Amino acid sequence: MDELELKKLWQSTNDKLEKSFVIDKKNTEEITHMKVYSLLGSMKPIKFFALLVGILWVGIGGIALSSIYLNSFNEANKFFLFSASIQVGLTAISLYIYLYQLITIYQIDITEPIVRTQEKLSSLKISTLWVTRLLFLQLPVWTTFWWNETMLTDWGILQWIMTLFFTLSFTVIAIWLFFNIKYENRNKKWFQLIFSGKEWIPLMKSMELLEQVEEYKDQNAST
Amino acid sequence: MNKQEQQHLFEGIIEQHKGILFKVARAYCPDEEDRQDLIQEMMIQIWQSVHKYNDQYKITTWLYRISLNVAISYYRKNSTRTKKFTDLNEQMMEIPVEDKSENEKQLNLLEQFISELKEIDKALMILYLEDKSHTEIAEILGMSISNVGTKVGRIKEKLKTRFAQLKS
Repeated sequence: MDELELKKLWQSTNDKLEKSFVIDKKNTEEITHMKVYSLLGSMKPIKFFALLVGILWVGIGGIALSSIYLNSFNEANKFFLFSASIQVGLTAISLYIYLYQLITIYQIDITEPIVRTQEKLSSLKISTLWVTRLLFLQLPVWTTFWWNETMLTDWGILQWIMTLFFTLSFTVIAIWLFFNIKYENRNKKWFQLIFSGKEWIPLMKSMELLEQVEEYKDQNAST
Repeated sequence: MNKQEQQHLFEGIIEQHKGILFKVARAYCPDEEDRQDLIQEMMIQIWQSVHKYNDQYKITTWLYRISLNVAISYYRKNSTRTKKFTDLNEQMMEIPVEDKSENEKQLNLLEQFISELKEIDKALMILYLEDKSHTEIAEILGMSISNVGTKVGRIKEKLKTRFAQLKS
């Protein structure tokens, strides 16, 4: 079967099916009365909510910590203070990412060419990786915030070994993951293991799609 | 453009070019129920964008952009998808059961070939089969005309190989 025959076959089959494809006019009208909704619209409330909770967390945390730094630094538990500061600082960075995502959502135009739109949509989804990286980076501080000065006097060697082992392991893992969770490592086994759940499917698919977009873009650049 | 004009334009576009939505949905969604959802999503996006339409591009170019962008993006949402428009008449669109034809074998093979393509290659293949010019394909996909030629050439080669395998 040659090229022309193929096109003819495709077009005639579709034409035939199309003829009996009916869209009820009443329902077309109904769409025009629907509340404004967009393909990305469903993402906005979640991002806004995360942004609001984050602002509250960082705001309240920031005020509380600032007050400790300014008024009772000498009496404060330094382990708690520094751990909480790191945690609030990292959450503030996550807020910046959410803000970037919201701005990108508003900039995406579904009527633009496929390669450009899909690149933006995939990049938007992949920026979620940054949030995951920051989440992992917070791990060590959750093992240190409860430390206190009595540990230095009261603890035995075994307790110290155990505690330091956990904190050091969490620190090494967190830093390693922070630098290695990135798009370029998407085909590594450990990466696919972390992102193997159902909830990660859209992210993994976005990566596959970005790979295709890059193929098209590479070709554009090479000619 | 006021609301009434937008409504008029939207209804006209859907009536005249519903075939584009149908073909794109058929290529991206083998499942009929999903396909109905996809077509509905395309229509909503067209309605949302109709106020932005200008005649710089052909209406078909504009429609292919929306329907392909929606179809490609649709799969990302599929896993967590919930029905948003249950208030709409479920019988809104009647998509017929494909009837058998004498070229069924070739058509099945062609459809299987299309379903195996990656998302953007699939878009290119649909436009090629629809006999769109390289210029229009370039405008829809957002790539240079020469690259459209190269990509179409590669896909045609793959297609030829597939059909040759069937013959042998």
